[in-house]
Amino acid sequence: MIRLTASRTQELLSQPENGMGYQIVEVTNFAGRIEKGVAYNAELVVLQSDPPSYREAKITKSTYPGLLNLAESSAGEIRSIRVLKGERAISLSYRESVQKSAAAKPAKDAPKEKTKENEVFKRFSAYDKDNRRTADDGWLPGTYATTEKDAENVKTGSDAVARYALPNKAPASYVYTCKPKKDTTIQYGTVEPANDQPGGGVEVLFADGTNPGSVSGPEKIPD
Amino acid sequence: MRCKLDRRWIDHLLGLPESGMGYQRVDVRLHDGRELRNLLVFNAEDIETPEPLSVEDIADIRLHAT
Repeated sequence: MIRLTASRTQELLSQPENGMGYQIVEVTNFAGRIEKGVAYNAELVVLQSDPPSYREAKITKSTYPGLLNLAESSAGEIRSIRVLKGERAISLSYRESVQKSAAAKPAKDAPKEKTKENEVFKRFSAYDKDNRRTADDGWLPGTYATTEKDAENVKTGSDAVARYALPNKAPASYVYTCKPKKDTTIQYGTVEPANDQPGGGVEVLFADGTNPGSVSGPEKIPD
Repeated sequence: MRCKLDRRWIDHLLGLPESGMGYQRVDVRLHDGRELRNLLVFNAEDIETPEPLSVEDIADIRLHAT
């Protein structure tokens, strides 16, 4: 699976869909290999060579953020991508509405899933002593964080306030890292606009907390 | 304005889930019978209140139902 860069997404958004919310695409990588796939939301490409668990995965509002998180970035991977035109093209405005709604569900309302091996999560805080970190370096039940991939969008504590729609206006410049054991209960969602902030980041909720020794940090980023 | 909660309330809040990354939305019942609704608590220790508040005034804190 491939997560398209913003420029590739724009490229696909300028072309028609083959069906509601998807495009059949032909991807050429830098080695010259050509492969077909399905692009969802002009953002997530599932290739024919992907394992059946991905090819047959149900793409829903609740599973989409998790799949997007698992996908590798197309940066440095894709030389070109083109849509194989079909006959059921729909309007761009409809596609945009699908794109906006695809992952727009808070984590608390998302189904419970299990973490994969070696998944990494980040938590941004205005505090250098996060009270939700337990004495044995886990997170308490009911703690929110974000994915490592989504955290790459955050360069400053103020970025974190905006992306995660935090009501505390103090820069969330302390970054905690969590590497929970496989099969930890997790819910993936998207931060809705709130508190005069745009939101839009990925949020995860550890309803049962995380295991001892899973949390490290914090690292300080610029305010 | 912000009020620093004491250990009793911090521990109470840490037993409850967050509303988002680093914060909880709560309703506070005071000993005089009044209720302050939908207040924000950061890091389970700093509560934002619309009026000056002493931690001794607090009778109960519950998560705000959304």
